[in-house]
Amino acid sequence: MSALELSDIQGTVLRGRPMPYYGTYLVFTVQNPRSALTLLERLLPKVTTAADWEAPAENAWINVAFSHAGLSKLGLPEDVLSGFPREVRQGMAARSAFLGDVGSSAPENWDMPHAGNGLDIGLLIMAGSIALRDDKIAIGHAAVSGLPGIVAAHRLDVGLPPTMREHFGFVDGISRPYIEGQGGTPLPGQPIAKAGEFVLGYENELGEIASGPGPQELWRNGTYIALRKLHQDVAAFRRFLRDNANSPEGQELLAAQMMGRWRSGCPLAKSPERDDPAMANDPLRNNDFLYLKEDPDGRVTPAGSHIRRANPRDALDGTVVDMKLHRLLRRGSAYGGVLPEGVMEDDGADRGLVIALINANPGRQFEFVQSQWMNDGDFISEGDRTDPFAGRKDKADDFVTLKPRKRYRGLSQFATTRGGEHLFLPGIGGLKWILGNVKPA
Amino acid sequence: MAPTPAEKAALAQNVTNQPDGPGKRIGKRGEVHVIGNVLPGGGKLFRERIAQFQAEAGYWETHVGTVHDFRVLMFDNDTRILISAIYDGDFLPYLADVINQAGPWFDMLMPGVWEGYTSASDTATRKLIGRQAYTADAFYAGYPDLTTKDIAKMRKLRDAVNAMLDSAS
Repeated sequence: MSALELSDIQGTVLRGRPMPYYGTYLVFTVQNPRSALTLLERLLPKVTTAADWEAPAENAWINVAFSHAGLSKLGLPEDVLSGFPREVRQGMAARSAFLGDVGSSAPENWDMPHAGNGLDIGLLIMAGSIALRDDKIAIGHAAVSGLPGIVAAHRLDVGLPPTMREHFGFVDGISRPYIEGQGGTPLPGQPIAKAGEFVLGYENELGEIASGPGPQELWRNGTYIALRKLHQDVAAFRRFLRDNANSPEGQELLAAQMMGRWRSGCPLAKSPERDDPAMANDPLRNNDFLYLKEDPDGRVTPAGSHIRRANPRDALDGTVVDMKLHRLLRRGSAYGGVLPEGVMEDDGADRGLVIALINANPGRQFEFVQSQWMNDGDFISEGDRTDPFAGRKDKADDFVTLKPRKRYRGLSQFATTRGGEHLFLPGIGGLKWILGNVKPA
Repeated sequence: MAPTPAEKAALAQNVTNQPDGPGKRIGKRGEVHVIGNVLPGGGKLFRERIAQFQAEAGYWETHVGTVHDFRVLMFDNDTRILISAIYDGDFLPYLADVINQAGPWFDMLMPGVWEGYTSASDTATRKLIGRQAYTADAFYAGYPDLTTKDIAKMRKLRDAVNAMLDSAS
């Protein structure tokens, strides 16, 4: 095991989201490659790394990522471009049928640009205060100032709602893998993952060095981010709970069974009967559970619940699936205003989640989880059934609990995809390689 | 009068390609064929090992859990080898898992037989499998919407219903 080269890795890979958080995603379209390189040159000294990620000097970061289309416009050589993973080369919109982004989630309905229609360069900004965020946004604007042929195509602000929870009412961001070499010690229940699952240039779970396209200088300490914008239909979720439970307590239990955690974040596995906020707030206990021995059939944490699908822990041991090959590092953040408590009809406002899923192998990590675990049920003997929150609902729209034994029907598309892309997040050395080796035509 | 070709084609199944290939797909059912070259002397090794490989098939394939049937065939005077499988779901997304899980089973048969095959854990072997995989030109699947898991579940249900009926008779 080698220590991660933290000062060469962009900060978002390792830094935990501040609480509360204020973030912005800025999307730029490149019309002039020379300007894009100047933008990069100006940004380079400002890009925040993962150095001192546990106690950063500044509670804010700015990172830069590229779509494959953006790298192509910059002028990366063809033999390098062709070496990117298939998923990155094709772009997320082209993968929509496989990923289940169909119907209302289809790319023609997306409102965030993707590769090929405007997302060439993305700036990822996250901060612990509005002032710190605005400082980072100013860096982004200064970097493009006066440059012809760089179009600010989109801005999406994210921030922790006043409820301190995402829009469906859940505390999120509790579970994440511990990356070998990141420093510190893993929390109880935190799986230990090889660094090469999340950062290129290190050994992965197959015993290989995770590598990227072209020279090592370009990809070492870089990674890929599957960026997803998901609109949440909060009113529909509330109506579903109301219509399928007889009491407020019953609604909370149903919500918890769909998620696998009570809305406080307390895992059902640790407190099956009632919420336990003290448990939820204790990092030594709130993630310390497995399924295979205690709950193999999903009587406590339903097999089809969101957290058990997204991270089956040991539930699939003894099957074809090796959980270690399908881990994700998830960075979720909310956008849009809160639907006031008790409101049961949609107010037409856009609200939801932006999820940045960090993975060194988009095919066997994000795309596997999305296609096999979110949008199918065969791996848990549930046929076509999909995730109650994140799954497509055109194949199946039901959800099953074993205690009580009940099949809930008519789940709506509570979360709809409104944007998505596979982005390349180079290391600092990779950014320098681009500046030193790419010559615009 | 005999049915016309058009009438017979009315029962055609919806055949697609696996996402990102290789293999065809009908409903939940996929197929794949891998054709490799055999090293000199590989035929002898193959015949020495094949009985134990066969004996362990149930163990390994039960472990994988998504395979309906599977065949290995050496042909063309010990110069080529064919591996074919009918299985549930997508091919490429599960390839790394399948190779990981059933790797030791293949490792007892293939080194020294299949040209280019060293060990299932070797990246070069994984690439070899990808390179030498082929898609069938025609494919039929019976009950293509039933996976091995569905069939196991239905058998469990049938047994339970029979037990219930037996206890009532």
